[in-house]
Amino acid sequence: MKKKYRVLGLFSDFEEAFAAIADIRQYKVPGVSVDDVRLMSPIEHPEIEEVLGERPAHVPKFTLAGAIFGITFGFLFLASAQANFLVQPQGGKPVVPLPSNIVLTYEMLILFGVIFTVISFLTLSGLLFGKKEKLYSEKIAVDQIGIIMELDEDTFEPLKALFRQHKVLEIREEVIK
Amino acid sequence: MSLNNILTNWSRYRKGAEEGGFHEYEHQWGMVVDLNKCIGCNACSVACYAENNLPVVGEKRCGKNQAMNWLRIERYWDEPDLEPYNATPSANIDAWIEGNPPAKKTELKPSMPSSYLPGLLEEGGQNFEQRVGFGGTKSEFQDFGASFLPMMCQQCHAATCEPVCPVAATYHTPDGLNAQVYNRCIGSRYCSNNCPYRLRYFNFWSYYEDAWPEPLHMQLNPDLSVRDKGVMEKCTFCIQRIRVAKDKAKMEDRKVIDGEFSTACVQTCPTGALVFGDMQNPDSQVSKLWSYHQVERGKTKQSKQNKELRGYRVLEGLNTDPSVLYLERVREV
Amino acid sequence: MKYVNEKDINEEIKWAQINTDILQSLQNPRKAYWIAIAVCLAMLSCAVVAEVYQYQTGLGVADLNRPHMWGLYIATFIFWIGMSHSGTLLSAILHIIHADWRKPIYRFAEAMTTFSLMTAGFFPMLHLGRMWNLYWVIPYVSDRGIWPNFRSPLVWDAFAITTYLTSSALFLFIGMIPDLAICRDNVTGWRKKLYTVLSLGWQGTDRQWRHFRKTYMLMACFLIPLAVSVHSIVSSDFAMSIMPGWHVTSFPPYFVAGALYSGCAAIITLFILLRYFFRLEEYMTVALMEKTCKLTFAIAMVWTYLNLVEFGATWYGHDPVAKEVLISKFVGPFAPYFWAMMFFGSVLPFALAFEKLRRHMPTMMIVSILLNVGMWLERWMIVGPTLSHAYAPEAWNFLWPSIVQWAIVFGSFGWFGLLFLIFVKVFPCVSMYEVKEMVFHRRREAHAEVAEKFHRRAADVQQATGRPSVEGA
Repeated sequence: MKKKYRVLGLFSDFEEAFAAIADIRQYKVPGVSVDDVRLMSPIEHPEIEEVLGERPAHVPKFTLAGAIFGITFGFLFLASAQANFLVQPQGGKPVVPLPSNIVLTYEMLILFGVIFTVISFLTLSGLLFGKKEKLYSEKIAVDQIGIIMELDEDTFEPLKALFRQHKVLEIREEVIK
Repeated sequence: MSLNNILTNWSRYRKGAEEGGFHEYEHQWGMVVDLNKCIGCNACSVACYAENNLPVVGEKRCGKNQAMNWLRIERYWDEPDLEPYNATPSANIDAWIEGNPPAKKTELKPSMPSSYLPGLLEEGGQNFEQRVGFGGTKSEFQDFGASFLPMMCQQCHAATCEPVCPVAATYHTPDGLNAQVYNRCIGSRYCSNNCPYRLRYFNFWSYYEDAWPEPLHMQLNPDLSVRDKGVMEKCTFCIQRIRVAKDKAKMEDRKVIDGEFSTACVQTCPTGALVFGDMQNPDSQVSKLWSYHQVERGKTKQSKQNKELRGYRVLEGLNTDPSVLYLERVREV
Repeated sequence: MKYVNEKDINEEIKWAQINTDILQSLQNPRKAYWIAIAVCLAMLSCAVVAEVYQYQTGLGVADLNRPHMWGLYIATFIFWIGMSHSGTLLSAILHIIHADWRKPIYRFAEAMTTFSLMTAGFFPMLHLGRMWNLYWVIPYVSDRGIWPNFRSPLVWDAFAITTYLTSSALFLFIGMIPDLAICRDNVTGWRKKLYTVLSLGWQGTDRQWRHFRKTYMLMACFLIPLAVSVHSIVSSDFAMSIMPGWHVTSFPPYFVAGALYSGCAAIITLFILLRYFFRLEEYMTVALMEKTCKLTFAIAMVWTYLNLVEFGATWYGHDPVAKEVLISKFVGPFAPYFWAMMFFGSVLPFALAFEKLRRHMPTMMIVSILLNVGMWLERWMIVGPTLSHAYAPEAWNFLWPSIVQWAIVFGSFGWFGLLFLIFVKVFPCVSMYEVKEMVFHRRREAHAEVAEKFHRRAADVQQATGRPSVEGA
C-alpha cells in the first residue's frame, strides 16, 4: 500500500502558480493530472481557472428550474386559491383576473429563481455542509494563491520539485494514510 | 381538486362584470333619491345614526373630519352658472366625464357652516375655500338656499373599493350589495382612498368607549355590532333589515314584497324623497322609477331620449355602476 | 481637466494592506460614529413612544381623517422603498456591465437597500387600523377557505417586498461570503464564532469561486428586473386606483426614476459618513464620489423629465379633476412643499454638475441630504394633494399631520441609521476581495504586456494539450 499525501503549495506570484498548473497540465510530473489540482485564491481568477480545464458549474440549470417552478406554482397557486374563494368576485372583475396574477407570478418567478440559485450554489460549491479542504492557509485570504492536490509516494517528490521550480513560498503537507 | 376546478370552470371564472360576471344575483337592492323633494332636514342622517349604532364623535373630532355620518347631506351653495360651459375645470364631473358638458355650469363648491370646521376656522378665521386655497372666489349664496345632495354608499356594482382591499374584507354579495366584513378588516384604508365618493368611514378612535355614555348605550341597536377601532365601515342599506325581511319571506315561503320593509333613512324621510327596493323585481317602485327615467345599470353613459328626464347617477362616467339614482332638482330661472 | 488622470483607487496598494485597512474599520471608528449611534437611538425612541401611543389609542392620534386616510406613513413608505432601490440596482447593473468602480462602494449601498426595505416594511404595518391582524395578508391555507385578495396592489406590495427583501439580503450575503472568510481568519472572540458560521466554510477554492461567479451574476440578472418591478408595483398602489393625480400612466417609470434618485443621493450621504467614520479615504476616494455624483445628476434629470411629462400629460389631458389636483399642487395648501420639492429635486442637482462642488465633501453632504428631503416631499406630494382634493367636493380638506405622524417618520430614520451603523461596524463595509480584484485587473490593464503574456500562455497550453487530462489520470 502506497502512502498518500496531501500537498498545499502557496504562491505569491500568480504567474508562477499559473505556470505550475500549466506544467502539470502538460504532464511535466508523470502520473499527476490537472484534474486533481485544486486551486485556492483570494480573488476570482477566471484566467487561471482556464488552465485548469473546463470544470462544470451547474447553477444556471437550477436557476432555470427555479424560475419555471416559480411560474407554474405561482400561477396555479393563485388561480386555485381564487377559484376556491368564490365569495370574492369584486369590483366587477373576474374570479381569476389575469393582470394581477401576472404581476404576482412574476414576483414568484424571481423569488423561486433566486432561492433555487442560492440553494444550488451552497450545495454545488460545497459550502455549508459540503466537504472542505483539510489544508488551508490564512494567507490565501490575504494575497497568496494555493495549489492543493492528493498525491502518492511516487509523485510526491517530483511535484514538490515542480513547485519549488516555480518559486513556491511554502509547502504544507500531511499524510492521509 | 383545485386544478380540476380551475380547468372545468375556467370560462366562468374569467367573466368580468361586462359579460355578466360570475354572480347570479338574488336581489339587487337599489335606491332613488328625488332631489326635488329633499328639504335637507337631515332626518335621514339622524335615523341612520340611530339605526346603525353610529357613534357621535363630538365637536373636535367632527372638526377633523373624523365623523361617522354614513348618510350625509351635502350642501352646495352656489347659484348654477347659466353661462355656457367654459374651459376652466370645475367639479361638475359627471358631465365632463360623460363627455357632454351641460349647457349650464354648476360649480359644486363645498361650503360648510362654521360649526362644521372649528379646527380650520380657528386659524385666522378664514373660510374653507380661502384656507384650502382653491375653489375660486366666494360667491353669493343662491336665492333658493343650498342645494342638497344626500350621499350614502352607492353600492356600486363595479365598486372601486372592492378590488383594492388586501384581505377581501369588502366584497359583493348576491344581493347586489357592497358588503363590508368588519371582522375581516385590517384597516389599510385603501378602500376609502379609492372611493370617488369618499363614502367610507374609518374608526380612527375607540368610539365605542365614549360615544354612548350611560344610559345611552341602552339605545344601541342589537341587530348589528358596534364597530371596533381600526375598521372601515359604511352604509349597508340597512342590511340587518334586509336580513329580517328575507328570513321572514323565506319562512312564509314567498318572495320579498316591495315596500314590505325599507331602510331607516327611507322610512324616516318626511317628504318621501328616498325610495328603496329590489331592482330585480320589475314591479318594484325603484325599478319603475329607474326605467321611467331611462337609467340603466352597467352603463357609463345613459342614452336618454327625453331631455326632460331628471335621472342621473353620481360620477357615472367612472364606470362604478352605482345603485343609487338621483333625480335632478328643477329650479325656476 | 485637472483631474483627468486621477485614479479611482491607488492601484499600487498592497493586498495585505487592504485587509488591514478594512478590518480596522471593524474595530476603531471615530467618536462621531458613537455619537451617530446615540442620535439614532434617540430618534428611534421617539418613534417607539409615538407608535405605542397610536397603537393603544387608534389612528385618530395621527390626525388622519376621512379624505386623508394615508398621510405621511404611506409617503414615507414609498420613500424608503425608493431608497432601497439604488443599492441593489446599481450594484447589479454595474456588475453585469463590468464597471469595476462599483467595487469599493457597493457593499454599503446594498446594506442600505436591505435596511431601508426593513424600515419601509414597517410603515404599511403600523399604518394599519388593526395591526394585530396583519398576517391576514399572507396567503396561508385557512380552515375557512379565506384567502387574501390577490387583486389588491397592497398584496402585490407584500409579495414584492418579501421577494425583494429576500433577494437583496441574499445578494448582499452571497457577495460578502469571501470577505466573511477573511474576517474569520483574522479575528478572535465572539466575532470569530459569528464569522465562522456566516462564512459557511469558504476557502476560496476554484470550485467555490466558479459557482460563486455564476451565482452572483445570475442573482444580479434577477435583481435588475426585480427592483424595477418592485417600485412599479408600489406605484400601482396609486396608478391602479381611480383617483385623479394617482391614476397616471407614467407612474411606474416615474417611481423607479425617483427611487434611483433618492437612493443615489443616500449613497452619497452614507459614502461621506462612512469615509469619515472609518477613515476609509483610501478606498472611498474623491474620484468615486465624482462618478457617483455624475450618475446621480443623470438620474435627477431623468426624474425631472418624467415629472414634467406627468404635469404636461395632466395639463393637456381632458381630465378636469386631475387638472384641478395639479393646480391645487401648484397653488393650494401644499404649494410650499410642492415648490420646495421642485427646487430640491430639479434645481439643486445642478450643484452636482460642478466639479468644485462635487469634490467638496461637506457641500455634497448637505446637497445629498437636501436632495433626499426633496424626494421625501415628492412622495408626500403624491399622496397628499390627491387625497385632499379628489372627486367628492364634500371631502375636500387639508389636515396637517399630527406630531405622532412626524415622530414616527422621524424615528424611522433612526431605525434605519441604527441598523446601518451596526452593520458597518460588524461587517466589512468595503468589499475586500473585490477591491483586490479591482486593483489587480487595473494594474494588469496598466501593464498590457503582462496581460498579453497571460493570455498567450493560456492559449498555448490549451492548444498544446487539448483535453488529454483523462489519459493522464
